[in-house]
Order: sequence, then C-alpha cells, then structure tokens
Amino acid sequence: MEVQTVTPPIEIEVKNLNFYYNGTIRALQGINLPVYKNSVTALIGPSGCGKTTLLRCFNRMHDLYPKHRYEGEILFRDGNLLADKVDLINLRSRIGMVFQKPTPFPMTIAENIAYGLRLKGITNRSELAGRIEKALKHAALWEEVRGKMNASAYELSGGQQQRLVIARALAVEPEVLLFDEPTSALDPISTAKIEELVSDLKKYVTIIIVTHNMQQAARVSDMTGFLYMGDLIEFGSTEKIFTNPDKKQTDDYITGRFG
Amino acid sequence: MNIERKRKIEGVVALTLSTLAAACGLFWLVFILGDVLVHGIGALKPALFLNDPVPAGMAGGGLRNAFVGQLMITACATLIGVPVGVLGGTFLAEYAKRTVFARVISVLADIIVSVPSIVIGTFIYALLVRPVHHFSGWAGAFALSLIMIPVVLRTTEDMLSMVPWTLREAAFALGAPYYKVIVQIVYRGAATGILTGVLLSIARVAGETAPLLFTSFNNNFFSTNMNEPVASLTVTIFQYAMGPYEDWHSQAWAAAFVITLFILVLTLAGKLVLKWRYKQ
Repeated sequence: MEVQTVTPPIEIEVKNLNFYYNGTIRALQGINLPVYKNSVTALIGPSGCGKTTLLRCFNRMHDLYPKHRYEGEILFRDGNLLADKVDLINLRSRIGMVFQKPTPFPMTIAENIAYGLRLKGITNRSELAGRIEKALKHAALWEEVRGKMNASAYELSGGQQQRLVIARALAVEPEVLLFDEPTSALDPISTAKIEELVSDLKKYVTIIIVTHNMQQAARVSDMTGFLYMGDLIEFGSTEKIFTNPDKKQTDDYITGRFG
Repeated sequence: MNIERKRKIEGVVALTLSTLAAACGLFWLVFILGDVLVHGIGALKPALFLNDPVPAGMAGGGLRNAFVGQLMITACATLIGVPVGVLGGTFLAEYAKRTVFARVISVLADIIVSVPSIVIGTFIYALLVRPVHHFSGWAGAFALSLIMIPVVLRTTEDMLSMVPWTLREAAFALGAPYYKVIVQIVYRGAATGILTGVLLSIARVAGETAPLLFTSFNNNFFSTNMNEPVASLTVTIFQYAMGPYEDWHSQAWAAAFVITLFILVLTLAGKLVLKWRYKQ
C-alpha cells in the first residue's frame, strides 16, 4: 500500500484468524490485519458480517462462553494473545473495551473509575483520587462531574455514562482500547462528543472501533477494514477506502448499494 | 342494541364484578386484623412483653418467654437459611446457568416452597429430635431455615438473572475475575431485590406453627438455651387458644396481633425496598 508515507509501528497483528461459535459455525475466516500504534482502526460492514466478533477476539471476550474456538494468531507485544497460557485478567487490563450501551456499575461515579484501579491493587486514597481525576479529564467528563463524584453513576445522562465508562477503561492505562459501536445508543450531540474524544484519545492508546455508521468511520479513523460475511474484504487507509476502494464490494457498501 | 352500547355495558359489568371481588378480599383482611386487635387489646400492655407466664389459672403474667424464643428461633433460622439460600441462588444463576442441573434444582425448590410445612416439621423431628430424645430450639431453627432456603434461593436466582449480562461483560473487560464480578458488581445490582426476598422469607417463617410443634415444642419458662425446648409465639397461641382460661385467650389474641403486625411490617418493608429500587 502506498497510502502512508510514514508507517507507524504495528501494535497488533492478526494472522490467518478463523473463529468458530459452537465449535462448528465459522464466523470469521482467514483474517489478516495490522493495527497501527496510536491510530484509530475502524471495522465496518453490514449486520452479521463479523466485525463485533473480530473485536471481541482481541480481549478474548469469547472465552466467557462455551464452545468457542480460535484458529490462527493475534500477535500483541510479547506473543500470540490467543495462546492458552495467556492470563486473561492481565490481557483485559491491557486491552480495554467500551460497549454499545453504557455500562456504569451500580456505584458512585468515583467508585466506578476506582474499580479497575482497585483490581490492579491500587488502594492508596490520594493515588486513586489523582488517577480518577486524570481519567475523567482524558474522557472530557471532569468539568461536568467534579462536584458530584459521590453521586450514583446512574444519575448521569446516557452520553455522560458512556464517557464515564471510557474514563473507567482509560484509568487502568490500557495499551489498546476496543469500542463496540459506542454511539449507537446515544443522541447526536453525545455522539459528536464521543467521536471527538475517540480522535483525541489516540495520543494515549491504540483504538479499534466497530461502527455501523460509515460517516463515523470516515470521521474518526485512520485505517478502515471492511468485513462481509466473515471475510475481511478490504483493508487500507480510511481515505482510500472511502474514496477509491480496490474492491467492488467495498465500493457498493460505502455508496449504500447494499448493507 | 348497537355494538358500542353493548361494549359499554360489558365494561361496566366487568368493572363492577372485579371491584366487588377486591372489596370482598379486602373486607376479610381488615376484619381479621380488626377482630384480633379488638380481642387482644385488653392484654396488650407492657406486662405481656416483660413478664413470664404464671401458673395456669392465675391472673396476670405475660409471654416474655415466647417473644424471646420466637426471636431466637427466627434469628437462627435466618442465619442458617439466608447464606445457604443466597449462595445456592448464586450458583444457579451464575455458575450453573442454563444447565439441566440448575433447572432441576430450581423446579425442586419451587416444589419445596409449596410442601406443607408440617411435613418439614416431622422431617426435622425424625432427623434432630428423635435421635436425641428431646425437643430443642435448634431443631425449630433448622425446620424454619428449611422453609426459608428455597424462597431465598429462588429470589436470589431471579434477581441475579435480572442484572444485565453486559454489566458482567464490562467488569470482565476490566480484568475482573468471576468471583469479584459476582460479589462486587452483580450483588450490588441485585441487592435490593435479594433483601426483599430475605424479608419476605422471614415473614413467611415467622408465622409458622406446625414445624415448631414437632421441633422446638414449647416451654412455659424463660429459656435462652437453644438445646432445650424453646417457647414460640405461634405454638403458644395454639396452646393458649385451646386452653380453658379467659386470661390465656386474651393473651393469645394479643400475641396473634403482635405477630400479624410483625409480618405485615416486614412484608411492607419488603415491598417498599423494591419500590425504592425501581424509582431510582
């Protein structure tokens, strides 16, 4: 690809990944994909194409359910994160995730953010307070909640809850952050704030975002992968995918002819 | 007659019938509470709670032994029944979710809830009273805890299942191990629901007589020894109501009023806790 003059280092590399639900139902086939450090990679495609399935491979979310099966490799730092010996607790604190619907825990705003930190063994009060403030600032929520840190997280609006959840994920200082359609349950103003945030956050973390919304992918991402029926049809710079894709299927999808 | 008019009449008839049925149910409830109060009010004085029974036929005395015994037995039953019920419900809703085993246990628990409590009483009698040749407070507490366990277990299971799965995934995604997800996230989300179940299960056993008749029996003297027979309000009410003395009768009415009030308050507390939760 002659898309970028300077190619940033690769943070994660997916190699010949196949994924099966229930042992036999193949949801992903032969996926090869580089994820560049401190960039935003968008995964797009019609419903059921496997984009969320692929996203949930990165933090081994599928391991919560029986009869899943991975084949191939996902290289991350010191090795294959799909290996049996990988400690999932450690992996998930290094690769965080933000879900479609906001998932604040039933506790106060401060406790929500402290939760992941406590899991990592940080209990010092002043250190917790400092990290909470930093995370909230990075998630652009600090000014709105600074006076009510001990209020229930459920008192926040949907958009604020989603930013709280992002702050919670950021607090544990992950290297990668996965977003699974983070704005599909939000109003347009909240959506704009989250999009702005995603573009900002790549300073600190590498981001992979799944989205239904093609304009969103075009706005926030550097690289885009188009999936269809479990195949990665095309991967390249977002600019190229949206203006001059190589494959006809990609062109059909982004011009709205199907999907 | 046109169809609209017909429908209107049908509506009025349905409304009238259901209102009458509701009034009928409510009437008996108020009637029972009122009747118990009217008969017991004469004996509702501090002496009822502060004095022990006097020899049969003599005037005065109270039911301190029965109040204390009832509280002891109910508290011990709660201490045994709630942890077993909550942990069992947790197993069914979390670890054994969607397995045949969990389904079977759930259904069995539902069946035990409707088993006549006297069967539980005789079961504990054979298990804990017969072998040692005497009644005991512990046997009573165990019998009541057996009645509580399926209620608490099923409530816990239902309440935990209502906590959205995405909340657990969010905790897993932060790197939490499963037991921490359950204890720190899922329990918090289901706390008020489980508390309601616990309160309702206490209310359920506080009014039981049959299981105690075979286990803790009764004691005319004040005793806090759980290894000996212990007095309880319900068995005392049964004994006093059958007895020939006017004093016994009014004390039984008063005791009946107190225990009914206790259960009413507990039930209302349970409902209020639930309501408070869903207002949030």
